[in-house]
Amino acid sequence: MTPTLPSGDQASDQDNWDNGRLAHKRQLLTEIILRNRLTALVVDGDTTCRVLEQLLLHSYGVQTQGVDNGRDAIALIASGVKFNLIIIDMILSVLNGLEATRQIRDMGVHCKMLGVTACSGESERQAFLAAGVDVFIEKPLDPEHLVPILRELDGQ
Amino acid sequence: MERNPMRRQLASMRKSLFDQGYLDEQFMELEQLLDDANPNFVEEVVTLYYRDSARLILNLDRALERRPLDFSKLDGLMHQFKGSSSSIGAKKVKAESTLFREYCKSGNAEGCMRTFQQLKKEYATLRKKLETYFQLARQIGPMESANRPK
Repeated sequence: MTPTLPSGDQASDQDNWDNGRLAHKRQLLTEIILRNRLTALVVDGDTTCRVLEQLLLHSYGVQTQGVDNGRDAIALIASGVKFNLIIIDMILSVLNGLEATRQIRDMGVHCKMLGVTACSGESERQAFLAAGVDVFIEKPLDPEHLVPILRELDGQ
Repeated sequence: MERNPMRRQLASMRKSLFDQGYLDEQFMELEQLLDDANPNFVEEVVTLYYRDSARLILNLDRALERRPLDFSKLDGLMHQFKGSSSSIGAKKVKAESTLFREYCKSGNAEGCMRTFQQLKKEYATLRKKLETYFQLARQIGPMESANRPK
């Protein structure tokens, strides 16, 4: 579907490029059908981010749970609940994201972990990867990053 | 081209929010994501953002009154605010958040305070513009979501 501009103005080259890029992203958004039931845990202290990340996952058919701090994430995993994917922010209350990630890995959890955070520096990226996340993503979590990961988890 | 004058006005308002740098592509992602569920859902998400981030703004205000400044605490609060703002596509607010965090890292108190004042202005301006936009969208009603500019 070709996106249309919101006004009657002639499209500039920049607008065409932006619309083409957006069309590609939109294609990514719609171009996946999961064959398997996947589950995800979203660990984010910010309600808006957590709700949106869960919504994005849900739109692909992923069952999600959300918690707002590291301690509750650890407790949930320790209770035996299994997830295919954990999305975790770096700065959390009670138990921060780096320490929560280390503890989750120390518990023997090997599922895919995405560090999705507002931090964008190289030192933060290295720290989060060293703690045990597989992928570091600067917020906001978007389909361009998420869809390839879901395909991988789904065995596509 | 939209024949309906209200829809033209809405489309123009939306375009200017992007052209003037108040919103970025993430807002479009929200519109795409939430369109099917409920045409007013974007407004609900933005309302959620302003409700939740008000607490962060208050905590930042309080933290900036303390002497000496606790830059680590300020950075942590702004980290959360930046993440939240970026999730709804609040471009100018996000930019000021990034600048604030840089001042925190360099221990620049005056920079933090000045940037925070600017951030609050951008935050308030965006709120007013989005309120006006959503009010008009509600008046136009559900048909708009079927013909929403892509």
